[in-house]
Amino acid sequence: MSDDTGLVAERIRVTIDGTLLIDDVDCTVARGSLSALVGPNGAGKSTLLRALTAVQAPASGTVTFGNADLLGMPRRQRARLAAFVEQDATTDSSLTVDMVVKLGRLPHQSLWEADSPESAAVVTASLETVEMTAFREREFQSLSGGEKQRVMLARALAQEPQLLTLDEPTNHLDIAAQLAVLELLSSLRTTGVTVLAALHDLSLAASYCDHIIVLSQGRVVAAGATDTVLTEQLIADVYGVTASILRNPVTGKPVIGFSPA
Amino acid sequence: MAKVSPLAFGTALGIALLVSITIAVTIGPADIRFDEVWRSIGSHLGIGVSPLTELRDGIVWQLRLPRVLTAAAVGAGLALSGAVMQAITRNPLADPYLLGLSSGAALGAVSVIVLGAAVLLPFAAFAGALLALTLTLLLAGSLGAITPSRTVLAGIAVSALASAVTSFVIFWSVDGDSYREVLSWLLGSLSGARWPAVGITMVAIIVIGVPVMLTGRLLDSFAFGDVQAASLGVNVSATRWGLLAASALVTGAMVSVSGSIGFVGLILPHAVRLLVGPGNRALLPLSALLGAVFLVWADTLARTLFDPREIPVGIVTAMIGAPIFAFLLTRRKSST
Repeated sequence: MSDDTGLVAERIRVTIDGTLLIDDVDCTVARGSLSALVGPNGAGKSTLLRALTAVQAPASGTVTFGNADLLGMPRRQRARLAAFVEQDATTDSSLTVDMVVKLGRLPHQSLWEADSPESAAVVTASLETVEMTAFREREFQSLSGGEKQRVMLARALAQEPQLLTLDEPTNHLDIAAQLAVLELLSSLRTTGVTVLAALHDLSLAASYCDHIIVLSQGRVVAAGATDTVLTEQLIADVYGVTASILRNPVTGKPVIGFSPA
Repeated sequence: MAKVSPLAFGTALGIALLVSITIAVTIGPADIRFDEVWRSIGSHLGIGVSPLTELRDGIVWQLRLPRVLTAAAVGAGLALSGAVMQAITRNPLADPYLLGLSSGAALGAVSVIVLGAAVLLPFAAFAGALLALTLTLLLAGSLGAITPSRTVLAGIAVSALASAVTSFVIFWSVDGDSYREVLSWLLGSLSGARWPAVGITMVAIIVIGVPVMLTGRLLDSFAFGDVQAASLGVNVSATRWGLLAASALVTGAMVSVSGSIGFVGLILPHAVRLLVGPGNRALLPLSALLGAVFLVWADTLARTLFDPREIPVGIVTAMIGAPIFAFLLTRRKSST
């Protein structure tokens, strides 16, 4: 059964090697929204993202998307519904961009069948969405950080997911590449894809995301509309730094300035 | 970079394999012509009459053909195992020989021969290969994060131990020419290969190798590591252990008839990657085909180079493989 409910996670607990990393987390992401998952290093952002798409299954808790049980469904079916882009994915292999994006078709194909025309069309469309068509035959490893991230995004889109989760997709990118990735994620809203991205830069999260989930020490400490959640007090509590919420004179969106302690 | 079409390359390799097998059978002390080989083979398959005398026909059918076919199957099996292990462990230096599987398999094989239970030969070789692989991975893991270099170091340790025990078992149990026996297990030799060896290796290729060749797409999903493979709907641990066990099975079957022949699993997948690219769907079957052609010629060299003396085929493969291994090492110096 599927409906317009987005991602709903309840009572998620993740333990790795006996350490409790995610402690009883509840969170929701509205269907078709772009949401940010923020929090200090070690808060458990990566762990939570991996748990939500069962890449590393949580010890307990439930995750549903459109009321479908994400953790309980067969893994290939899940990979057709939800895609995950990990942080700084690297490879030793000399795969071309085209081959990397084709990996996204894996959940839709049997091992033996040849690439169908429909599959090829999805790969082409995904490359167009991230504006990497011209790089199709290039070797993935030869690309810049921003280009690589766009290819990984195209790979995720080739899964034709309804839910896309990304772990720090702007990590190590220059500001232009960061904005390009966020613009892309932002534009996915028009296609109905629900996006949840772990982000470090609070100003970028504030300018692009509808909702924000704040994680600290394995717990959700605040969640909701970006404007209401991001306060100077919250930033002081979670990060232990003095911040001032300013307004971008052009967009009117919040910009966070920091003062030395 | 322009790549060769996998289909064209595969067709060329298929033809090269048939031609190589035929030529290899003609080569040897007794001169036998190309057409005589085919007519002799035909006569044994019930087509026509062999043009050869009984003695020369025996040389073709009883000695050379089974040996050449075994060489082809062993080469295919080792190259396939190497390609699979390289993809699943994301380690370009992975190879059944370097990671200790071959030595483990040889120890298993020698042990059951000494115990007089030669019927169990392939199974013992498989158990030895699997045990050695497990030890290597455990040892590599205990050194820290499993890197290609640590895995190779661990493989050397496991391989040295298994080889020492193998040599000890042979010295302790065999009278007379035990050196030759030790050498043929440690360096690999196809001099004893007859039709039963063809049977064992062909069954391994058909029953295990062919299904493994069809898993290229799954292996591709490991290019960025376990997390991405899992996010693409792959059952990571089942795939990893299933394919590693299959590699150990194939290696065990090959080593049980040939001893541990080195470097075939390392260098041929790299050669195919250079020619057709890294996609495993083409890489696995093409590595197997190229491995077959390669070992047919390596074994022909081993038995003719110093005629009438024969050298273990592992010497030939190491002469070719070790420099390539060294080259691969230097290319990786930044990421050891």
